Amino acid sequence: MIAPRWRKVARDLTSHRVRTALVVLSIAVGVFAIAVVMGGRSILLREFDVDFAASVPPSAQFDTTGFGDAVVKRVANREDVRAAEGRRRVTVRYTDKGAPKDVSTAGWETLRLWAVPEFGRGGVQKLVREEYASWPPRPGGVILERSALQVERFSVGETITVEAPSGARVEMRIEGFAHDINQVPAQFQGAVTGFVSMDTLPLLKEPSEMNHLAIVLDPTISRSAASRIAADVRDTDLTAAGVQTLRMEVPKPGSHFLGDIFKAVSLLLLAMGIMALALSAFLVVTTVQAIMAQQVRQVGIMKAIGGRQTQIARMYLAMVFVYGVIAVAFGLPIGLWTGAWFANYAAGILNFRLASDVPPRWVIGLVLVVGIIVPILAAAVPVRRGSTLPVARALDAAGAGARFGHGLVDRALGLIRGLPRPVALSLRNTFVRKGRLALTLTTLVLASAVVMGVWTVRSSMLQTVEDMGAWWNYDAQVFMARPQPRASLEREAGRVPGVTAVETWLEAQASLKRPDGSENQDLYALGVPVDTRFITPKLVAGRWFKKGATDELVINTDVLRDEPYLRVNDIIRLNMRGEEKDWRIVGVVTGQLMGSVAFVDRDALDSAISAGGSVTRLLVQGSGHSPAEQDRLARDLEQRLDDASLPISGAQTQDAQKQTIANQLGILVTFLVIMAVILASVGVIGLTGTMTINVLESTREIGVMRSIGASHASIFGIYITEGIVVGVMAWAIGAVLSWPFSAWLVGALGDAMVLPLSYSFSWIGVGVWLALVLVIATIASLLPAWRASQVSIRDAISYE
Amino acid sequence: MSELESAPQPLMRLTDVVKTYDSGEVPFTALKGINLEVNAGEFVGLIGKSGSGKTTLINMITGIDRPSSGQVVIGGAPVHELNENRLAIWRGKTIGVVFQFFQLLPTLTVIENVMLPMDFCNVHRVEDRPEVAMELLRQIDMTDQAHKLPSALSGGQQQRVAIARALANDPPIIAADEPTGNLDSKTADAVFSAFEELVAAGKTIVMVTHDNDLAKRVTRALHVADGEIVEDRKRWLDDELIEEQGA
Repeated sequence: MIAPRWRKVARDLTSHRVRTALVVLSIAVGVFAIAVVMGGRSILLREFDVDFAASVPPSAQFDTTGFGDAVVKRVANREDVRAAEGRRRVTVRYTDKGAPKDVSTAGWETLRLWAVPEFGRGGVQKLVREEYASWPPRPGGVILERSALQVERFSVGETITVEAPSGARVEMRIEGFAHDINQVPAQFQGAVTGFVSMDTLPLLKEPSEMNHLAIVLDPTISRSAASRIAADVRDTDLTAAGVQTLRMEVPKPGSHFLGDIFKAVSLLLLAMGIMALALSAFLVVTTVQAIMAQQVRQVGIMKAIGGRQTQIARMYLAMVFVYGVIAVAFGLPIGLWTGAWFANYAAGILNFRLASDVPPRWVIGLVLVVGIIVPILAAAVPVRRGSTLPVARALDAAGAGARFGHGLVDRALGLIRGLPRPVALSLRNTFVRKGRLALTLTTLVLASAVVMGVWTVRSSMLQTVEDMGAWWNYDAQVFMARPQPRASLEREAGRVPGVTAVETWLEAQASLKRPDGSENQDLYALGVPVDTRFITPKLVAGRWFKKGATDELVINTDVLRDEPYLRVNDIIRLNMRGEEKDWRIVGVVTGQLMGSVAFVDRDALDSAISAGGSVTRLLVQGSGHSPAEQDRLARDLEQRLDDASLPISGAQTQDAQKQTIANQLGILVTFLVIMAVILASVGVIGLTGTMTINVLESTREIGVMRSIGASHASIFGIYITEGIVVGVMAWAIGAVLSWPFSAWLVGALGDAMVLPLSYSFSWIGVGVWLALVLVIATIASLLPAWRASQVSIRDAISYE
Repeated sequence: MSELESAPQPLMRLTDVVKTYDSGEVPFTALKGINLEVNAGEFVGLIGKSGSGKTTLINMITGIDRPSSGQVVIGGAPVHELNENRLAIWRGKTIGVVFQFFQLLPTLTVIENVMLPMDFCNVHRVEDRPEVAMELLRQIDMTDQAHKLPSALSGGQQQRVAIARALANDPPIIAADEPTGNLDSKTADAVFSAFEELVAAGKTIVMVTHDNDLAKRVTRALHVADGEIVEDRKRWLDDELIEEQGA
């Protein structure tokens, strides 16, 4: 037989359905948010690591002059090398806009082609085949990296026109799609990646030799050790075989090029998870406190007839336990499902595969703790307070309104004159239950601060993109397939209609000797005219290099990420094309998502690497700056250089570059918005709950008001106004708090991405959130206000 | 053995009980040094105007409220010294409380309300409790309503259930605060008769009432005014007769 007190618990749960639903909803929202955020995050982190490790990422890569199988075998046979694979890399242009006769006027896009000898069987950078008609691809066929589908609707069997650096144009059939986690996704680099067999190279009039070597080392060794082995491979194996290394890269072991963005996403998810947990706990405390307030008289009766504190406390904690169990039963599966959806969505954007979208067990454990233990802990304080209330006070509980008028705030509110009576009543009602108001406000303020903070992060990202636009002053730039005479390029570019200014740059891969003897080869020296008009660098330290200075360079903040010990006035030794030279750092400029770059005087670089007046990049300014005008300018420029037989590897407009950067940052904004929506929902449910409970507690007052002539509409209006007052207060405090919160978030994201973001507080966000809060507060108050307006006088007066 | 030594100990003894409330701007003294002894088997009525301190006094006896100073000893237990937990156990077994507004728990049926004190104080074997509760309901003629919720009962019926609940643990004392205050005269008379039967069965009852007609039926009437017992009349009717005869 069930004891009467447990029956009371069961009946309280079932007979107060609205209240039960509210509490369950409050807890379930928290459970849902945690399951989505932490579940999604843990799936992403786990699967990313699994997918990345399974791909066997290279420990070091070399861009070289041509070599054959013998070199690959020689490197693979080294004791300190676990695997080696050679490929040919060639950047081509493609169009899928029609027959070759139209090509000259059609827009070209960049296609980074990899010719792979052992298609899909190599031991490095493994390809995972997805949809395909032929594997390996036949000569003239191409397998596209699947992220290509994010930028264009390619389909198997479709033909694209490809133009190689040699000028050869080939019709290539798309034979399928494969996944390579080591390739930068198409929307991030503004270029599509494809894989062909070595037999395709002759069709492109490309040599059949390889020009890219990737090696895999013991993954447990340090980056410095890996760097030393790579240098030895270069110096001992490649150079000895007559192969010149143009560029060598030794990434941080286990690091992925999207690692920074991934780290930022992960940080955001963690921050949001903690916020969701805090909001959920506040919500639970608010609702349980309200329940105890409603039950205080019954607690008094139970104590009067012999109920002990512990017995009564256990009854209410059991009730909270049941609320938690029901909430978990609803919130957990929906949360896990949404978390898995979110993980799949994010993996799609970041271009990695999920072998499993089931979260680890600890997430389910955390959800159970959040759904069951946290509510019990949150309830412990109000339950203890309620169950220890002296019987006389409990039986004498006259409703919260009876206590109004003693505090400073109450008296201050009493001094406000001239308000319409219902508005004054709503305003004072808001402050009757100050404890609950504080909790509800905390929940809504946190949600408001996050939403407005997210808006500011978004606006900061847009500002950053804008600032980059201000940093770059070109309309179109062209990357040359090989170094070309400066004079020829400038002459041809000057002949393109609409071009108002021309500049040429020289780039060279550089290797920095560290104090410990290891090398940083992931560095570019960019030779620009000292008075360049095509960039407006933002100095964070020191100064720009001087005209004619042959040993001065300016590094960007990306360099400092790998070499944090570097300071202005330090002397560094760079190895470029086999020549070593000392340079003095005279300044540091902000990075612009262009990697580690050292800016030097173009003439100084020319003489350092004996370029003989050739350059690798051409930038132009036009008379118009709209995206369409920039597109036209880029096409005309390409055409002109084509006609002059100056080989191009790719072209880019400034708008396209901004779009690429915006895409990279946009992914973060997308995640932020998803999280902000979840948190805002928690706030809305919290306000709805509080308003409903306030109405339940005010039933007697509503009866009194009705008995002295208040209409349905007046009662309705009073409670809608109360909701709006709470909403507006939360908005105002949240707006103030969103400033430090967004400043922290913008800073943390900037640190994670090594891209200092330009902080831009979003007043638009503040305004839009005010409008949204008004709508949300009205919606949250609608149901409680309607219930209030329907209360009959008889029910109200008899309400216990 | 002297006559003093052989006299029975009073069931309740209140000594210099003062109760002051500090909640308002000016402290308010509701009880001003009450001294009172009640013997077993007495039917005591506390009468007085609203705000005179009679509810505060009965709350001192039940342990629902604590004195600011003074001693309250009920059935040998120093109620003023017990902590909340021991007080709850003591109250559940020693005193049955009946309130003016019945105060039945709305989500429990009639019989469950009656069993609740047994459950809290672990009185009677679990399997016997329904039978004991039904017997109590039989005594007040409420067996037909045993499985209804309180909201389905009239005020008089609810108060009878409240009395049954007060008797659930068979306490020697019943404390009732205006138990008929919310009832019509006919129902109030029936409820009062139930109290008289309990006294006849050996219970001690302390009851707050403002109904002079009912007050005349108690065995001892205490008139409370301004926090003091201003009149203590035993055998109300007999005294009046004696006075009349004396006159």
